[in-house]
Amino acid sequence: MINFILRRLAIAIPTLLLLIVITFVLMYSAPGGPFTSERPLPPQVLANIEAKYGLNQPLWRQIVTYIWGIVTEFDFGPSFQYKDRTVNDVIAQGFPVTLTYGFLSFIVAVAVGVTLGVVAAIRQNTLIDYLAVGTSIGAQVLPNFVMAPILVLTFTLWLGWLPGGGWEGGKIEYLILPVIALSTSYMASIARITRSSMLEVLNSNFIRTARAKGIPERQIIIGHALKPSLLPVISYLGPTFVAMITGSVVIDVYFSTGGIGQMFVNSALSRDYSVMMGVTILMGGLTITFNLIVDILYAWIDPKIRL
Amino acid sequence: MLLDTHDVKELSANLAEMDEIKGRSLWADARNRFKRNRAAMVSTFILIGIVIFSFVGPYLAAWSNEEIDWSVLGKVKELGAPSWSNGHYFGTDDLGRDLFARVVQGTQISLMVGVVGALIAVLVGTTYGAVAGYFGGRIDSVMMRIVDILIAMPFMFVLILLLVVFGRSVFMLFVGVGLISWLDMSRIVRGQTLTIKNKEFVEAAQAMGVSHFKIIFRHIIPNLLGVVAVFATQLVPLMILTESFISFLGLGVQEPATSWGALINEGAATMQYGTLWQLLFPLAFFIVSLFCFFFIGDGLRDALDPKDR
Repeated sequence: MINFILRRLAIAIPTLLLLIVITFVLMYSAPGGPFTSERPLPPQVLANIEAKYGLNQPLWRQIVTYIWGIVTEFDFGPSFQYKDRTVNDVIAQGFPVTLTYGFLSFIVAVAVGVTLGVVAAIRQNTLIDYLAVGTSIGAQVLPNFVMAPILVLTFTLWLGWLPGGGWEGGKIEYLILPVIALSTSYMASIARITRSSMLEVLNSNFIRTARAKGIPERQIIIGHALKPSLLPVISYLGPTFVAMITGSVVIDVYFSTGGIGQMFVNSALSRDYSVMMGVTILMGGLTITFNLIVDILYAWIDPKIRL
Repeated sequence: MLLDTHDVKELSANLAEMDEIKGRSLWADARNRFKRNRAAMVSTFILIGIVIFSFVGPYLAAWSNEEIDWSVLGKVKELGAPSWSNGHYFGTDDLGRDLFARVVQGTQISLMVGVVGALIAVLVGTTYGAVAGYFGGRIDSVMMRIVDILIAMPFMFVLILLLVVFGRSVFMLFVGVGLISWLDMSRIVRGQTLTIKNKEFVEAAQAMGVSHFKIIFRHIIPNLLGVVAVFATQLVPLMILTESFISFLGLGVQEPATSWGALINEGAATMQYGTLWQLLFPLAFFIVSLFCFFFIGDGLRDALDPKDR
């Protein structure tokens, strides 16, 4: 087990380092420096400022300093556009928002998706099954950036039940639409995966044995069939999490939640490279860590996997 | 005469008929199964229709995609609605530009991004995966570790970074989409290559001294084409989704060029003014096309799955 974790770490750490190097080199090669403005500064002043921020050093030195700052102090450096705040400030402001509804969406997607899948499998070829399968096909072509406008159109413009944007400290009515928009398509995928693996498990020998022994159906499904049929779902959790992180960018922008995605797009539009870098690396780190956890979880649950 | 000419003729006719009974190849079987899949067939026809629409559309449009209809500007809600009489079949957008022409152009760009992404995946991913799987050993593990590392990147963020740094253009979109699309393909192809490379026909080729290069391209890859084709058709909608996602954020193609994502974004931004057609037309094209791609992908997978014979 420890060997396995070490081997996964041996991939995770270079990945993160490579990500930092790629983003840094991209930013470095971008035309125009952070102090290029419409009125050019005198060369001496520019040189002094660049020396102050360490921009006159060779590229590799800058990268090492940057990585060192992140590792030791979790410091992503100053923002290029706003003199009075650092990338850390931006992250601290936007990240809790994204985390709140992202986490909620994740729970909703998994809980509802698994329930729907199990019910569809038990009641195979009934109306509920067809409904579940139908919605999961439909939800595939309704990604979050299509869901969001449709939801706002229905619940804000036509019915007037819910606000179409804003955050207000995470009040429940501001949370509902973002969570639905973000979770729907993953919920559908999870439901489909659960259904097919549940069907497979329900047709296997040990379930037949359990039935022959006269164990009540409810106990068979919860006690015997559920755990093995959730294995493919667990391996799907990694991609789901990643997709939700990227999807949250759309939700942030469309619902103006003030989350980290909105900061990312704003910094992209105003070419605030350091904020973009910080957010990219943070999201990359999160993604890699989460995939690591899922891998370990999977190895721990599935006795058949070879470590 | 030993033989009656009549008999000979009959025999030759019979023989000719016997020629008609051919062995069923894998592809012929697959084609038949695909034809029996009604959803996939209907999707194919609809998709062909959409492709034709995107090519013929510019000749049908009464307006170009950049032209501003000044008579509509400022009164888009009243005068910009879809109508036959003023030539705006799909209405106009908020700036008075003809939505029909813009949808046609958006369709072209979105489909192009999808196809180019899938094409890069087929070319690069297949070669990469086949080489890694065929040589095996250390080459394989190094090549696949590289893929592992790249696949773990938050590619959407890196892609946006790429677009911001090097400027937003259709070409950069192709590059970015191409960078990510081949990764999964190379994994799938490698797995298939591992099962094929120990088969007798590869061994025979090796024994006869055929070069590695030729074995990979003449003997291994042709046997993978089924898997590659299935995965490629499933990649096209994913690439379209990726591009639409970025364009929806306003970071994709630059005006006046447009794509489905950008059009949906514009429509969504203006829907509270009551100009719903700006959202519904691009949305309809987007959803219908994606549906078609998914059904075709499913149909192809069922058709080419050897387990189903």
